Amino acid sequence: MNNFNGRLSGQLNDLVDRLQRSLVLVHGRAGGAGAGVIWSTDGLVLTNAHVISGARAHLTLSDDRRAEGRLLARDPDVDLALLRLDIDSLHPVAVGDSNKLRPGELVFAIGHPWGQRAAVTSGIISHLALANTRGPRREIPVIRTDARLAPGNSGGPLANAAGEVIGINTMIVGGDQGFAIPSSVALDFVQNSLERAHPSGPAPPEAVN
Amino acid sequence: MAKNDLKALSDSMADAVEKASSYVVTVDARRRFPATGIAYAPGLILTADHVVQRDEDIKVTLPDGAEHSAEVVGRDPGSDLCLLRIEKEPLSPAEIAASARVGQLALALGRPSSGGVQASLGIVSALSGPAHTRHGGLLSAHIRTDAIPYPGFSGGPLVDAGGKLLGLNTSGLGHGNSIAIPAELAWGIAASLAEHGSVKRGFLGIRSQPVEVSESAQKSLGRSQETGLLLIGVETESPAATAGLMVGDILVGFNGQVVSTPDQLLGLLVGEVVGSPAPVEIIRAGKAETIQITAAERSQPDPESRRSHRRRWRGRRHAFWMGPTMSHHAHRRRRRTSHGKMHNCEEPHSHHE
Repeated sequence: MNNFNGRLSGQLNDLVDRLQRSLVLVHGRAGGAGAGVIWSTDGLVLTNAHVISGARAHLTLSDDRRAEGRLLARDPDVDLALLRLDIDSLHPVAVGDSNKLRPGELVFAIGHPWGQRAAVTSGIISHLALANTRGPRREIPVIRTDARLAPGNSGGPLANAAGEVIGINTMIVGGDQGFAIPSSVALDFVQNSLERAHPSGPAPPEAVN
Repeated sequence: MAKNDLKALSDSMADAVEKASSYVVTVDARRRFPATGIAYAPGLILTADHVVQRDEDIKVTLPDGAEHSAEVVGRDPGSDLCLLRIEKEPLSPAEIAASARVGQLALALGRPSSGGVQASLGIVSALSGPAHTRHGGLLSAHIRTDAIPYPGFSGGPLVDAGGKLLGLNTSGLGHGNSIAIPAELAWGIAASLAEHGSVKRGFLGIRSQPVEVSESAQKSLGRSQETGLLLIGVETESPAATAGLMVGDILVGFNGQVVSTPDQLLGLLVGEVVGSPAPVEIIRAGKAETIQITAAERSQPDPESRRSHRRRWRGRRHAFWMGPTMSHHAHRRRRRTSHGKMHNCEEPHSHHE
């Protein structure tokens, strides 16, 4: 039994280590901070639209390198923004398929809650719900979780037990419920953004199953 | 990685939610916010009493989305339980888990909307009780958990990692805190509601106070028990008098259970034991004795007074239940209150009944 707990704990450490390498700190307005996810080796970073105010954003990587991100696309409707970094040796996340999620699955949120760098909280998927948006999509799926989120988690990843990112943490409701934009919406957003930027450009990363 | 235990754990938690969700239904019997119920037996749904605020136009929505109208079979405000009947119900009833242990994983489930089951994860934080409830009832035990009780989770299950029922969650008993009524206790009350429409609560006709049980008396009893109930009054013609209990006897057990506090005795005087002979263990003149006693049923408040009572307290009940749960619904409601629309919420706190 102790052996099991030990293995579980070790696997959790590995999972968090991998997620932390792909996490960035997004310096916002007035000293505030949000989180972001390294999406591809060629410098794509995904974060929340509400974290980004201008055409450029200052970022700090997990190894304390600083970089400036250029805004490629921003969609307040799904609260996502895509940045491009010109920097190498990046560790992108593995992206999971959010269409296959089930309530009860373990999830891990990582970000900078209240400015605490790269802090992790855990919980489960509470509910797979639909939320209304103001834009043309009308309804989008959202992931609701009981993992504790706080200001500073915005734009950070919500990962499953395999360490795959299945959502981008976006909102807190009622003080105790976290909302994340699912990876399916994020993948669509990234693909659309890239197609608009380079009509025949490189293919976006695929979901890992 | 040879085997990912974390993934396996995650999958089995999702399995537990899926399994348990098969007996979790929506109960729509109050304004604006439906709550949750548990399939108790074919055609019978157990839920929290405080979420059933009307006796007509009650709707139960099954996991497959089928909507049924339901009627109240019985209520027990003392334990905040209400049993509903629906015409047709292909659900298999909840399976009860072995008794809860502090530290074990626990999932709270709810189905307050048509968008599927909702869940939160925690552990069993404490097993406590007995607790006096606001309607003069007594809950002999309850489960505390740190799983978040989201709005509409009242009446829903707390389940173990295998999806079996540990208890029924309610925020209507613990002064705004959410607790779970242990499954066996809830099932016992549900059985009583199914049979009688109410919970039989009995009385013996004694007044008592806790006293020490001497060592020699404990020896005679054959177990170590530090306190018992010294009888300081026996009502004439009461069950106690009929059975031959006398002032000066020390009551130490009832119906096979140890009794060392008045609350424990009160907790045991519920259900089937009322009206049928049960053994009472006493110490008389230093020696243990067992005699038979038949607890009499306490008179029930008549339905009309209960209804008007409910009307009178409805506003306050909203404020009470919705207030401290920190939900966004609660904030909305509270704001409404402060605008004066539900002014009776501010009624001074007084004990009723």
